[in-house]
Amino acid sequence: MIEKHATMKSSLREQRTAYWMLVLPGFLIYFLVLAFPTVVSILLSVSNFKGGKLFGAKVPWKLVGFYKYKVLFHDPYFYMALKNNMWIVLISVFGQIPLGFILAYILYRGIVKAADFFQSMIFLPCVISTVVIGILWSAFFSPRGAYPELVKMFKPDYVYQGSVNHPMAPVLFVILWMYTGNYLIIFIANLQKIDSSIIEAAKIDGASEMQALRYIILPALSGVIVTSAILAISGSLKSFDLIYVMTAGGPAHRTSVLSVYMYDKAFINAPDYPMANAISTVMVAISFLLIGLTKLAENKFGGRE
Amino acid sequence: MANIKDKRSVTSRIGLFVAYLVLLAFTVLALYPLIWLVLNSFKTTTEFQLNRLGFPKKWTTLNYTYAWVKGNFPTMIMNSVIYTGITTVVTLIFSMMASFAFAKIANKATPFLHGSFVIGLLLTLQSIMVPLFLLANWAHLYNTRLGVLIPYIGIAMPMGIYLCTEYIKSIPTALVESARIDGATYFKIFGAIIVPMAAPVATTVAIMTVTGTWNEFMLINILTSKESLKSLPVGVQKFAGALSSDFGKQFASLVIGLIPMLVFYAVFHKEITKGVSAGAVKG
Repeated sequence: MIEKHATMKSSLREQRTAYWMLVLPGFLIYFLVLAFPTVVSILLSVSNFKGGKLFGAKVPWKLVGFYKYKVLFHDPYFYMALKNNMWIVLISVFGQIPLGFILAYILYRGIVKAADFFQSMIFLPCVISTVVIGILWSAFFSPRGAYPELVKMFKPDYVYQGSVNHPMAPVLFVILWMYTGNYLIIFIANLQKIDSSIIEAAKIDGASEMQALRYIILPALSGVIVTSAILAISGSLKSFDLIYVMTAGGPAHRTSVLSVYMYDKAFINAPDYPMANAISTVMVAISFLLIGLTKLAENKFGGRE
Repeated sequence: MANIKDKRSVTSRIGLFVAYLVLLAFTVLALYPLIWLVLNSFKTTTEFQLNRLGFPKKWTTLNYTYAWVKGNFPTMIMNSVIYTGITTVVTLIFSMMASFAFAKIANKATPFLHGSFVIGLLLTLQSIMVPLFLLANWAHLYNTRLGVLIPYIGIAMPMGIYLCTEYIKSIPTALVESARIDGATYFKIFGAIIVPMAAPVATTVAIMTVTGTWNEFMLINILTSKESLKSLPVGVQKFAGALSSDFGKQFASLVIGLIPMLVFYAVFHKEITKGVSAGAVKG
């Protein structure tokens, strides 16, 4: 009896040791790289840190309060960047997701041949490095690129003005071009989970294509649509590479987004680390806010179907 | 009756026509810029200015030989292979290990630890950009390979943990328990049961980590300044960005940047798309 108790105890100890040995390597790296810096970022945003050593400096930095946030909320460039971020959110949620769904639906219905080919080709832009895509499209849209020539084929007297009036338009187009395939894949994977015999039965009962879509397919996909919206929102707020490469926020901050504006504050000219971190903290807050709103909308409208 | 049937087949034929039209339009839209890029990378910049849309009249590979050498691309590609390879292997091992513990070994810490990984899926890289740069400087990891690899592994962990835990949970616990009764240690069980059975999810995680790491640009751009440590995307950006009007050479460097991922996609396109739909995790 005592012996059995002892082996059980040692087995429990072994179990605990094994657990921590399995979990810790991954968790430590994760903590070091994501969790800890996130906290540091929030602290820096309310500090007077001016660069130099982060820890162990002769004159250590102090927390001085929300001063930078006050400055930020009165900064017109901040609102310019935020507005551009919102454009990206809109084009992602109301552009990429519906287009992705339409394409997925066409492929899912199984009426076209070579569906795999179409799917692989439309998804192709998603695997290419954003840097390559950004430079490629900059060249394509440049006054000496392909776009003016293409328009001239249809309108011979066309004079290319550049995108001075709508500097965000090319960026938004490229974002749509790049990521629509992503939602195509997400939707098609989830459409394939729907039991097709339900749709066939509805069709035999006389339901039209539109009715099947409205009453069977869309309700079944409502969860995926919300997930996609959340992905699109958080992805849109994160977007950095493409704009950094295509315009670097120019001309005159007109295509800047929050992440590029933050990068400017931290790494261009005299670094203002507290301000950069205030911007990134606001970005995280907005992201959580929008995701929260999406979930709220899901709870309110999702149950109706 | 026949009339109705005719009507139906007409509408369905129109539907089919529209379906093909939409798909074809999007396929052309996806491919045209890439084809345009490849064609023009074989023109001299002078020819490109005169003939921006057509095929090259005289095909030249000079752009490629120039870009390959001046852009230091062999080094960049080697670096990308090193970063991607090590990140993928380490992420895979660590996330399988931790996921096995989360899924099959009871511990009170699991909800907290696993939960903090899942929150990591929502954290933005921007919010850690400045702290990582400062921490790397402080720890003397700025401009080192390790200083790139540690963040890359940390960033890839949340998705790895999320997918592997879900998958390993579906492996019958009875298998683990009976192996325990037979006296196997947890590490033995991990190697002999979990790893072989979780191979499908391991593939998905590996593919996702490879694409994510290979294309990563923002962090490596701020964590390194040495030419010898840069990855392919940074190399392309630096080389092509400096050549804003010498389109021929710029295009050649873009094609060089494009090819590795295209080959990877051609080989693994099934697995890549599987990863995308598996990664559509609700926040």
